[in-house]
Amino acid sequence: MKPFDIVIVGGGGAGLYAAMEAMKTNPGLNIAVLSKIYPNRSHTSAAQGGANAALANKAKDDTVEMHIFDTIKGSDYLADQDAVEVLCSEAPKIIRELENMGTPWSRLEDNTIAQRPFGGAGRPRCCYCADKTGHTILQTLYEQCLRKGVFFFNEYFALDLCVDGSRSRGLIAMNIKTGRIEAFPAKTVIFATGGYAKMYWNRSSNAAGNTGDGQAIAYRAGISLKDMEFVQFHPTGLRKSGLLVTEGARGEGGYLVNALGERFMSRYAPEKMELGPRDLVSRSLETEILEGRGFDSPAGKYLHLDLRHLGPELIKSRLPQIREMCMYFEGVDPIDEPIPVRPTAHYSMGGIDTDNFGRTGMEGVYAAGECGCVSVHGANRLGGNSLLDILVFGRIAGRAAAEEAGKFNPSPISETEVTAKELELRSFMQPSGHYERYGSLREDLGHTLGMNVGIYREATKIRQGIEEIATLKERFSHVRVFDSGDVYNTNLLQVLELRNMLDLAETVAAGALVREESRGSHTRTDFPTRDDINWHRHTTYTLEGTGPRLGFKPVVMGRYELQERTY
Amino acid sequence: MKQYAYYQSCINESMTKEVDRSIELWQHDLGIEMVKLHESTCCGGSNLDYVSPKHFALVNARNIAAAEKLGLDLVVSCNTCLMTIRSAKKKLDESAELRTEVNEILSKEGLQYRGTSEVRHLLWVLIDDVGLDTIREKVKVPLSKLRIAPFYGCHILRPSTVLGKDNPMEPTSLDQLLDALGGKTIRYDHKNRCCGFHTLLVAEEESLNVAAEALQEAMDEKADCIVTPCPLCHTVLDGYQAKALKKSGSHGSIPVYHLSEVVGLALGFTERQLGIRRHIVT
Amino acid sequence: MSDSTIQHNEDSRDVTFRVHRFNPQVDSKPYFDDYTIRLEKGITVLRALNYIKEHVDASLTFRAFCQAGICGSCAMRVNNMSKLACTTQVWDELDKCREPGIIKVEPLRNLPLIKDLVVEMDPLVEKMKGYSNWVDSKMPEENWGRKEFPVSEAEFLKYDKATDCILCASCVSECTILRANKQYVSPAVLLKSYRMNVDSRDSMHEQRLAGLVKDHGVWDCTHCYRCQESCVKHIPIMDAIHGIREEAIAERGVKDTSGARHAEAFMEDIGKKGKLVEATLPIRTNGVVWTMKNLLPMAFKMVLKRRTPPPPPLVKSTKDIEKFRAEFREMSGHVAKDHAKKSGE
Repeated sequence: MKPFDIVIVGGGGAGLYAAMEAMKTNPGLNIAVLSKIYPNRSHTSAAQGGANAALANKAKDDTVEMHIFDTIKGSDYLADQDAVEVLCSEAPKIIRELENMGTPWSRLEDNTIAQRPFGGAGRPRCCYCADKTGHTILQTLYEQCLRKGVFFFNEYFALDLCVDGSRSRGLIAMNIKTGRIEAFPAKTVIFATGGYAKMYWNRSSNAAGNTGDGQAIAYRAGISLKDMEFVQFHPTGLRKSGLLVTEGARGEGGYLVNALGERFMSRYAPEKMELGPRDLVSRSLETEILEGRGFDSPAGKYLHLDLRHLGPELIKSRLPQIREMCMYFEGVDPIDEPIPVRPTAHYSMGGIDTDNFGRTGMEGVYAAGECGCVSVHGANRLGGNSLLDILVFGRIAGRAAAEEAGKFNPSPISETEVTAKELELRSFMQPSGHYERYGSLREDLGHTLGMNVGIYREATKIRQGIEEIATLKERFSHVRVFDSGDVYNTNLLQVLELRNMLDLAETVAAGALVREESRGSHTRTDFPTRDDINWHRHTTYTLEGTGPRLGFKPVVMGRYELQERTY
Repeated sequence: MKQYAYYQSCINESMTKEVDRSIELWQHDLGIEMVKLHESTCCGGSNLDYVSPKHFALVNARNIAAAEKLGLDLVVSCNTCLMTIRSAKKKLDESAELRTEVNEILSKEGLQYRGTSEVRHLLWVLIDDVGLDTIREKVKVPLSKLRIAPFYGCHILRPSTVLGKDNPMEPTSLDQLLDALGGKTIRYDHKNRCCGFHTLLVAEEESLNVAAEALQEAMDEKADCIVTPCPLCHTVLDGYQAKALKKSGSHGSIPVYHLSEVVGLALGFTERQLGIRRHIVT
Repeated sequence: MSDSTIQHNEDSRDVTFRVHRFNPQVDSKPYFDDYTIRLEKGITVLRALNYIKEHVDASLTFRAFCQAGICGSCAMRVNNMSKLACTTQVWDELDKCREPGIIKVEPLRNLPLIKDLVVEMDPLVEKMKGYSNWVDSKMPEENWGRKEFPVSEAEFLKYDKATDCILCASCVSECTILRANKQYVSPAVLLKSYRMNVDSRDSMHEQRLAGLVKDHGVWDCTHCYRCQESCVKHIPIMDAIHGIREEAIAERGVKDTSGARHAEAFMEDIGKKGKLVEATLPIRTNGVVWTMKNLLPMAFKMVLKRRTPPPPPLVKSTKDIEKFRAEFREMSGHVAKDHAKKSGE
């Protein structure tokens, strides 16, 4: 079988942009996009807010420079300044390019792309399409890829890389619809599989499939990950599903109330109350729950976001979508009942360690988007920078891979390698005496991460978390796939996703333990301040034996000196 | 005797004359009177709307204005006419600009569209104005021997933004009326589905497939007959029945009645009086 | 049955899911499995299915991804209606059960079945490709990213709502014509085509329109509005279909398809007589040959029953037809002026 020039794993914003750009760079290339779902279903669609770019359509004095500074400050100075410069200076071009290919951006009165203010940004520079920005960007990119004739392998699940020494030869994947294991020999591979925050399971706003597949495959192949301990939490996720209730609900005057009936924010932010900064509000909710002032339910402890005093009229006119969401997903009408909420994991800053061209530690392997870590978000991502990240670095990786693809011819992937994979998967289905169900393992993983490696972290707890993850890995060795069929075996898929999450959870916990400081999203109660002397550096993780070996990497500095992060 | 302006659908003046004939027979028994609007014109079907939106608005503003002149609600006994005239009304009610433009032209005939008359289906009048209890009382020959497959047709239900009377996918109004007439209705998937009429001349094969499926399901569910409030559905399900079933390789046949006919039967009129013998399947 | 078992407002109760099962490797035809589980109020159908998969039957197969109503993966038929399982509350469905307490769950219709509740989406993707459902930018690719197209609010509003579509295929599943012929373009594809055609940045709208008026295209829609009623994003899909037809007639005239000729006949008759001349409608739509072949065999029976529409000369004109004709002509004047204004812009 002739090798592909580029195999892209993941069909979200980063993967599709990479495919587009690679086709543009060299139309003669043989490019395949593998996605475990139909690309238009990817989690990019869930990003509502928008993408930052200093177009200066709204605020005429906005500059790329200001965007750079806001991003670096937002990252708590852990972002690499050269990478941030790439991100922000490419931003206007990328937004206009999407516009040129049909993204339905909302418009200002002068018919230019609309921009709105966003947290942590000094100017209104977030370009949006109502509250469906990610969805429309994803649709546009998918449409353009169809136009360009990009070859899609939809509903293919990537299993592992095939490696020759320091270089990848492609990968092995499963066709979900048939269950067949297939080889994808490739000159270059781009991982664009999204984030890993779903490991927090029902304490996560992520899609069911944000299981860090790309990161886990790369990690198993010996490629380094970076900054895995940084996971962003949002203060108000719905109790049962973790889905986000956007800040608008508090902006309109909603109260956060504990089981004692107190508006507890008075304890943490007496002036700003419910409208304090996101990380502070998240921590406040978590404290209330930890100190026993939360409500109890089978789905876990929670607090109330109460909108009832706003009255039906205001709720219906200003917060219709939030109301709809509460009714759809929680069965609660906020006009009549308070909304059950708790903090929820929703973004992973860490990922596969890459340079500014998306290149990873292994030749021929690239990563982009939430799957990769360049790093542009450092310890904390700014709102409106995640869509931007996937677009800018998806595009860059696509071009870089296209340029490299011609220079290398990989040795083929053998039948034996494919058969070995088949046998490995079959082994999950072999009946054995004692077995485990993936569902309870997955729930326990989410629980232990939430309790021990969640918003508040502390050495003893993290150690407990690490132990529990080890136990879960042991239990996983007895996990059983009950569906023994080949066709569309989601039971098997969920087990494979769980394996990926377990591998990555180890790195998250290891990083959380080693980083003895509080920075951005990472809050250590035993080390409550930022420690620039010892910890102004990235963590890296390489698989050694069965666990991660930690390493460190300096942060690339530039024009901006370290400062205290205050708003 | 409550009066209504009665819209004369093209099809009821030509192919399905039995509809108006039935209504005339029993209207006074139920305390209502349909005043025929002889000056009304074709509503444009679901076609005029996109051939020329403005003519569409004019024609139907005029139809409604004629009812308004009499101070009466406009009653329709064809689903598509109902949906069409109501959607024109919605457009007129939502646009002052359109109203002005149309009224300027209508004023030459001494007509004015004001939006004061409701546009309603005969079925709705029977349920809401006459009332199911009254109907129950007046029934002389209950339809109790019949297992009836109610066939609503689309345009009395959808788009719900224009019709909004019944649940667009799980309707009950026709079932309620048939129940009041003493009939037993069956539950089957096709009761809210399409008859295929509107593509009969454009995509005949598809249309006949659609009709055959509906007929077949009603027969499979052992219905004695189908009842529909729409003469267009009737035309397909009755007039094209043999052709549709033949295409789908099915045997058998099932009579299809108009709503107005079963009301007449329950009130004691004969098949001959009601014009049921004009049907193709009898 | 005691009160407690039929009331739906209690906080937890037993619910039975009657789920469509089919594994092509083992089953010769589909069947249903009943799963009865105790559920808490506030649970969605998707979460209930997840529960069944995790605790009762791991082989139960369905798609799900975002679980937040935006990815469109989990569209399926619940109690006979295509919708997203993730945005559907179990308690709401209890009121809609044919058999009390039993919620029926089936795969989408009109797409090939793969397994249990999973259907093949490729036919939909292929149609999207076939009708060129992408913006073919007026800007040459080498200039992309250099400057924005200015887009006015009016231009933006033409496609804004249509871009809400998440391609969940609920409308595809409910479509009447698709059920009769799988080659039919399908509502989601028409919506997308419309969205592209009204985009001021697109350059291939004539070519796309030419594709849409061909067989199995826009004229085959039977206006049943099921697509629109089942749309999980409440998009007025029929407006898009009518929009394409309006454009097709305005730009391509009535010659190229029977659908367009059929529509135009209404205009003609109303203008002349105020009433539809049904007798000649088939000939005007499809020509003499088609009419003889398709309708003559039926005509005999119709004549016997006196069900034939009257021949054109006998169609009675509306009362006051002269006044009406004058009004109709006056409106034609307005429309002509509108066109002149539009093309002058």
